[in-house]
Amino acid sequence: MTSCEFQAVVLAAGRGTRLPEVLGDAPKCLLPVGPFPLIWYPLNMLSRHNFTEVIVVVLEQHKVDVQQALERTSLKVKIEYATIPNDSDFGTADSLRYIYDKIKSDFLVVSCDIVSNVSLYPLINKFRADDAALALLLFKSGFESDVVIPGPKSKHKPERDMIGIHPSTQRLAFVFAASDCEETLNLQRYLLKNRGQLDVYGRLTDGHVYVLKKWVIDYLHRKENISTFKGEFLPHIIKKQHYRRTPKSMPDTTSDLNVATKQDDNILHYAPHTLMDQKVTQASLFNQSLSHVPYHGDIIRCFAVQAPPDSIGVRVNNTLSFLAINRKLATIWTDLCDDAHPLIAPGAVVKSTQTKDIIVADNAKLSEKTSLNSSVFGSNSIVNPKNIVTNSIIMSNAIVEEGCNINNCIIGHRAHVKSGSVLTNCLIGPNYVVEEQTKSQSLHLSNDDQYMEIDIQ
Amino acid sequence: MSQFQKEIVQAVLIADNNVWNFKPLSDEGSTALLPLVNVSMLDYALIALNRSGVEEVFVYASLYLQDIRQHIKQGIATFASWSFKMTVHVIGGEGCRCFGDAMRDLDAKALIRGNFILLGADTVTNADLRPVLEQHKRTAKFDKGAAATLIFKEASSSCGRTGNELLIAMDKQSSRLHYHQRLRMHHKEGRYQLPLDIFLSNACVTLHHNLLDPQIAIGSPSMLSLFSDNFDFQTRDDFVRGLLINEELLDSRIYVSLLPPAQYAHKVNNWLSYQLVSRDIISRWAYPLVPDMGVYKLQQQYVFYKDNIYKSHSANVSKVALQENVVVQAGSHVACGTTISCSVIGANCRIGKNCQLNNVFLMANVTIEDNCQLRHCVIGPDAVIHERCVIEAGCVLGPKCVLPANTKLANTLVTSSPNTQRSEENETVELDAIGPKAYIVSDVTTGDPDDSDDDEQLLPSTTTLSIPKMCEIQAVANDASDYSYSSDDDDEESRVATPLPDDTNIFLSEVIDSLTRGFREKSKPEFLILEINSSRYAYNMSLKEVNFNVVKAVFGMESIIEPANNNVLVAINAAFKQLGPVVSNYIKSEDAMIDCLKALEDICEENELVREKISQVVHYLYDKDFVSEDAIHAWYEQLDPTEQPTLRQSLAKLVEWLNQSSEEDDDDDDDDDDDDE
Repeated sequence: MTSCEFQAVVLAAGRGTRLPEVLGDAPKCLLPVGPFPLIWYPLNMLSRHNFTEVIVVVLEQHKVDVQQALERTSLKVKIEYATIPNDSDFGTADSLRYIYDKIKSDFLVVSCDIVSNVSLYPLINKFRADDAALALLLFKSGFESDVVIPGPKSKHKPERDMIGIHPSTQRLAFVFAASDCEETLNLQRYLLKNRGQLDVYGRLTDGHVYVLKKWVIDYLHRKENISTFKGEFLPHIIKKQHYRRTPKSMPDTTSDLNVATKQDDNILHYAPHTLMDQKVTQASLFNQSLSHVPYHGDIIRCFAVQAPPDSIGVRVNNTLSFLAINRKLATIWTDLCDDAHPLIAPGAVVKSTQTKDIIVADNAKLSEKTSLNSSVFGSNSIVNPKNIVTNSIIMSNAIVEEGCNINNCIIGHRAHVKSGSVLTNCLIGPNYVVEEQTKSQSLHLSNDDQYMEIDIQ
Repeated sequence: MSQFQKEIVQAVLIADNNVWNFKPLSDEGSTALLPLVNVSMLDYALIALNRSGVEEVFVYASLYLQDIRQHIKQGIATFASWSFKMTVHVIGGEGCRCFGDAMRDLDAKALIRGNFILLGADTVTNADLRPVLEQHKRTAKFDKGAAATLIFKEASSSCGRTGNELLIAMDKQSSRLHYHQRLRMHHKEGRYQLPLDIFLSNACVTLHHNLLDPQIAIGSPSMLSLFSDNFDFQTRDDFVRGLLINEELLDSRIYVSLLPPAQYAHKVNNWLSYQLVSRDIISRWAYPLVPDMGVYKLQQQYVFYKDNIYKSHSANVSKVALQENVVVQAGSHVACGTTISCSVIGANCRIGKNCQLNNVFLMANVTIEDNCQLRHCVIGPDAVIHERCVIEAGCVLGPKCVLPANTKLANTLVTSSPNTQRSEENETVELDAIGPKAYIVSDVTTGDPDDSDDDEQLLPSTTTLSIPKMCEIQAVANDASDYSYSSDDDDEESRVATPLPDDTNIFLSEVIDSLTRGFREKSKPEFLILEINSSRYAYNMSLKEVNFNVVKAVFGMESIIEPANNNVLVAINAAFKQLGPVVSNYIKSEDAMIDCLKALEDICEENELVREKISQVVHYLYDKDFVSEDAIHAWYEQLDPTEQPTLRQSLAKLVEWLNQSSEEDDDDDDDDDDDDE
């Protein structure tokens, strides 16, 4: 491997616990989003930014599937697969720790569920300019706000992050889930003191695109009790920004073994800050503050970069966003992929004349005398004549017989909708057969009710 | 006619505030007329309004209405610079006791016709308020419920606190105020707690921590009627708080505007800010409100020399070392050999030979005799200081005081007659005399002057507040305590983003509250026990935890944490006299006693005073039968000698003594047994 400034890691070992009803037994990273599997989008984004090699972390059992799926697409990046054991219950931080020895330089960590057209250069440049330990990307949330979730009516509570940023420097002050606090927000004094202003955002989503220093993974490797990146490690390292080397702990390195291990736990032990660095900071004319030393003397620095408001950024990690991205994909396709990829695959057969904003995968057969709007048709799916399909997703190998009206539904893999059915806001699970003349609204129909697992994490 | 009425810009000026903070100088005249760099504060406020294009001003005065009316009349007669293009009305009277009353009165009189500027007479600013007024009008057009726009000024973060600092949360886009908290002057908040709702219901909220409140606001007409509707609004802060809480109900909103960095605004509400603002005026931050610009009279009063020295032509200061930042008014005479720096000398003062004055503010006609040393103090008009007096930081001498020779003072307020103290309490307070015309005024008040009538003596003044006084102003260094994360053991803590207050802590704080109140109000122990028990069930505490926390709570009361004269034993005695039955209700069994002692162990770590006196405390508890001898032994045995060597050491004697006395008892018992056999 040639040495490069940044390595890229795509984490694709997620099990998709938030969209079990559309997933079936397929891996989350292979969810169909338009003509491509979900993981294609972050990989394509990295490829657009001239990354040539990417490490993809997948579960061992899914490796072959993912490999095959990606080979069918025309990606120009070289993918190195890192597998993690099937039965392990790895968090994201665990996964990173697992591939620890593959990381040789500063690196990007990208989640496999991000669909975005944003340029990563501002983020990377911020990271470079401020010699940051970590930089992350924030999106405006609300992409899926106008989409109704199919299936039984449930109160959809979006997970919200509270993100504090110092506006003049874009330094991160804190990130945590809103559900973690009760009714008050507790702010330590040092977050405000000497820094004056603090912007607190409640409606931004963390894009799960992180740029990290090499030493961060060394530190993470050591901290074995941290298992998730976003939930545990991110708040941890943001907090450590204010961490100071205690003057008296310095000579301890030479004392007994007990203390020496304590030194190893100290995050500043990992953050390289040589005498040269100190001198460079002192000699530099650069200072964002008039009255303080640069960066307030903090060695660990975390920054947040907000994507421009007109850019697209969605995390496809639940059923709602999955439906939203698929429905809207046709309208934003040119923004997302510059027309380089056709929305209607060459192998698809589309005989219908009344189509608008549809995406059709390979070998799908859409018959004549159908009206198809804002919908996605998976590979090998069949839609017979005299059908109306709007705002829906027909997944691969699904069959829709004649005379159906399907609105705002997700029809699962290999599902079969028999003739004359009228479905609105329904979720049809994989392999399910909808009987003739079914008229359903806001239902979740699937075969595997009895196997439904409730995953508490 | 009607269009003329519309055009007029109106302002309301509230005089006579901060009476308490400017003692003893506020005893004989309005605080609004206090001279600040030889110009009364009211004039600064009026000039600020005049510069902002205000055409009609209502000055609201209460106690010294006549004085202020006189001052305004005189100002108009002598063509004060604010008297052009601006009419000034003085209204009010003794019946108007607070800011809210003034607002209600204004509403009743229907004098205000549109949006108006609201200012305290103690505000010094060179800001142009016209753009802010325009902005407020635009906001009001957009939001009919806009009641007020508050104007704040960013402060440098390194300054100490003067009591005007704020933490606010405002919407980044609409500048709407969502949260408003005054920062306490002496207490350094470790963390701030803001309601989460603010952040969830708004896309982006900006927290400002470094703001000064110069007491400037733009009010809508609805602001006055809101005061009328809510008769419990007494201060502007009440108004802000009330509106923020009942936003929906009152359908009113408050907006925020920040002054641009180049404009100066500060409120003079205590001696400390008096000193700060004087310094700023002299060093020309408030330009054009500087001494040599003829701020008040339209004539040059001073000649401006380098190092910010302003000297009147008619002042006689030859052979005097005037260092930087000095203002000397007309008619003053300073004898040779005297050094003056950072000071203001009023009109017709006499200063003797070889004096040293640093940060001293002399009002008119002050006489200082030879060889005096004055630092950081204010001397009222007509005061006389005899030879060789040393007056240190924080002193304020009232009008007409006479200090005898060789007096040494620090941090005291002095008034000239024994009964000028305008006290709400019926009895006049006896004042300590330091001379025939100098009496020391107590500046200490118990927390709430209203409810401290009869039990004041009994209460070891729990919350003592004193007037912020002048002192050496130093930049607050970045103390290491800001970064509380320098220890290695914060890992557990940092695993949780925001540590939730756990039930035990809530329970403890509730018990502390109950006990503190019970102690103050002398409520019956049974009621307190009932209260504690209900808290216990609310937080599902085990008996062990209750025992532990009740003892902790007793020692956690403020009277014990900060005892009078640092005499913790007296405080403990007082507390147990009152609360003893409560404690003994819980501490009954041997186990409970050990819990109690364990709580003491905890307290020792937190409270240094208790730690020093631990053996006496334990002995006291033993004497009063709260803990038994066996319990003390058992506890002592399980104290780890390596971890708590000091605790063990200080207890060793007590245990030994207990051993001795118990051995005697044992012997007796043995003897008895022998006899029986």
